[in-house]
Amino acid sequence: MLTRSPKLVLSICCFLSSAAAQSVDPSMLLNPPADSWPTFHGDYSGQRHSKLTQITPANVHQITLAWAFPTNQTQSIKATPILVNGVIYITTPDNIWAIDARTARQLWKYTYPMNDGFHIGHRGAAVYKDSVFITTPDAHLLALDARDGKVKWNVVIADSKRGFWSTMAPLIIRNHVIVGVSGDFDNLPGTLRSFDADTGKPQWTFNSTPPAGTPGSISGGATGGQMWLTGTFDPALNLLYVGTGNPTPVLNGVARPGDNPWTCSIVAVNPDTGKLAWGFQASPHDTHDWDAVEIPILADVDFQGTPRKLLLQASRNGHFFVLDRTNGKSLLTTTFAAVNWTKGIDAQGRPIPNPDKEPHRDGRLVAPNETGATNFRQPSFDPVAGLFVVSAADGYGLYFFKDDHGAYGWAGADYDVWSRGAIRAIDYRTGKVRWSHDIGEGAGSAGILTTATGLTFTGDNGGNALALRTSDGTTLWHATLGRMNNAPISYEMDGRQYILTAGGSVLYAWTLPLPPAAQKP
Amino acid sequence: MKHRTLVLGLATLILAVSPVAAQQGGRGGPPTQSPASRVPPKTETPQSYPAEQIQAGESRFIAQCGFCHGRDAQGGETGPDLTRSLLVAGDVRGDKLKPLILAGRPAAGMPAFSLPAADIDAIVAFIHDAKAKAESEKGNRRSVDVSDLQTGNAEAGKQYFNGAGGCSKCHAVSGSFASVGARYQGLALMQRMLYPRNRGPRATPDLLPATIVTIANGQTISGRLTYRDEFTITIVDANEWSHSFPVATVKKIEGDDPLREHTEQLGKYTDKEMHDVFAYLQSLK
Repeated sequence: MLTRSPKLVLSICCFLSSAAAQSVDPSMLLNPPADSWPTFHGDYSGQRHSKLTQITPANVHQITLAWAFPTNQTQSIKATPILVNGVIYITTPDNIWAIDARTARQLWKYTYPMNDGFHIGHRGAAVYKDSVFITTPDAHLLALDARDGKVKWNVVIADSKRGFWSTMAPLIIRNHVIVGVSGDFDNLPGTLRSFDADTGKPQWTFNSTPPAGTPGSISGGATGGQMWLTGTFDPALNLLYVGTGNPTPVLNGVARPGDNPWTCSIVAVNPDTGKLAWGFQASPHDTHDWDAVEIPILADVDFQGTPRKLLLQASRNGHFFVLDRTNGKSLLTTTFAAVNWTKGIDAQGRPIPNPDKEPHRDGRLVAPNETGATNFRQPSFDPVAGLFVVSAADGYGLYFFKDDHGAYGWAGADYDVWSRGAIRAIDYRTGKVRWSHDIGEGAGSAGILTTATGLTFTGDNGGNALALRTSDGTTLWHATLGRMNNAPISYEMDGRQYILTAGGSVLYAWTLPLPPAAQKP
Repeated sequence: MKHRTLVLGLATLILAVSPVAAQQGGRGGPPTQSPASRVPPKTETPQSYPAEQIQAGESRFIAQCGFCHGRDAQGGETGPDLTRSLLVAGDVRGDKLKPLILAGRPAAGMPAFSLPAADIDAIVAFIHDAKAKAESEKGNRRSVDVSDLQTGNAEAGKQYFNGAGGCSKCHAVSGSFASVGARYQGLALMQRMLYPRNRGPRATPDLLPATIVTIANGQTISGRLTYRDEFTITIVDANEWSHSFPVATVKKIEGDDPLREHTEQLGKYTDKEMHDVFAYLQSLK
């Protein structure tokens, strides 16, 4: 219907002018449009659950390649692609590419100068107004001009000479760019920082553990607890949720008695002040390198007959946690993989470590192994099915510690014995595993995407991209592309639904074929 | 050593979807070198490098290799201690290291690195320098000594081996197994006892599952299983030709997995039983 409403004309003008400016208002992250994947998890909830419905269990076997983008790196893609305004941003350590989503043409590429930080992976970029943010291996935060990739500013998150590095995809909340670091090989305070998205000015620092030697520290002398994966955010509660890593020294628990808060924890932090609202320890007194950084997924669903604000985490230590995210209280704790290190669950819902399974001089056989029952690979939550889908592993490792190993950094020795991976669907209401889909020897490396039509996209250990039926784990589609080390995403572009998967160092876009009449030469 | 043969139907081997129980079987992940309990091998051909090249190599090594192998090359999060590596000990100016860095060891989880030649030369220089430094150090922070592992009871281990552990169902204490404690020591023996990793250059063909694939026309191909996932099976035949099949097209797959009991046993061992069996195996010389 055509009208001459001045209001409508005005709104079209505004739309066009904002589109021309390609500027991303951070309020868009509260309700991302279908043609975007504007932040690491797609939205603030961490659910990685696409509402798009074109690709279904009935037609997924027909999806076909729309395009492929090779990064031509030896390092595989570990980043979740970011998509806004028709532009895809994909990263590897030191590198970011801006790609036109319709043509797969490279718009620009930026490469950070050679540096000493660990180049083990990079999880992705973030966008705000006309800036694109990346962290660097030497723990800097860069703001790039979204038009051409030129550096607008470059600030230090933490000193790489002390052993910090960063792989993290930043989280944007209003004008905050929130970034964490890694650092297991030195006794460093757990550090999460916020910078002004416009200027790069530091806003706050949250320490999960105090610096080494801090008198009377609550951590019992532990350092560590690094926050190296992107958190989630509840706008109504104004709380940022982030998982914290293992304590240091890593395997030597003798040097740091007690529970060592807030290492191996889920913490709720005010994103404006960096102040802790509450913490929940997934692994009190960890001695096995079981970071609890795994994505704390937020869901507003019924639990035991009552609508609740839940936080769900499948943790590296083999436990599945259901928390009330308003206060951090445990509602349910179960296991989802082989676990032999506990003496049960305490009144607060925390696993009770069995001291006999701490690293010892003669070696202890421990499940999970160091790589864990899960890890960095992003899970997904389908709120309709009530299933939390995670890349799990059953594994065993040998753990050693003796005084000779000291109290700095790793401070011990551990060896993987055996492990095998599986995609598992956990019913959040019971914490029980509904189905388990074997993905081969060793731990997996692919994250998960679920969709509203009941599809689960992920990858196996043999280099196959997979589409499974979310209700029972049956394989509906696969393509042998090379190993998937990131999580798939989905979006709609010009009326068609796309799935992006990485295989090795190449990014692949999948969509349903057009009917012959719609195809042009 | 003999293997108990398990004849498995297609349904058992296709592990795609199964109930919650942890799926066992399969043949290990990346091989873990276990140099931590042996005397570090000396560099066979002493070599020296300019200080500037070592320094440049240190930067490159930390950035590209440090997370897995440690900033000092003495082992990191997942990779072995290079200062105790036999390959490094035998390397002369990169003749062994350079091809390895360029090709990687994908089966062991090490990626290939396409770095400029000068960077790789510098990394080689740094590794040799790190090894020289490690040789002059006392003690090793990631070491597991043979003496650390002596908490088991060989007699109790023998009883477990022949009884509750069920080890003797597959392993007769005769032939080469009767001297297993002489062939492997310390951590290497313990790791092999728990799960004899079987990939890469040191793979034991006997431990690759014997497999018979029946294809659509009824023809059967026998060999040793070298690859298996949900969609693909690869076997190598007696003449060392590899055959790969889409699983969906084959009629039947029969095979044994000689290591299945090892993976199942991991969930059963107490630490005491593990150390007892280890003590018993140590006594087999």
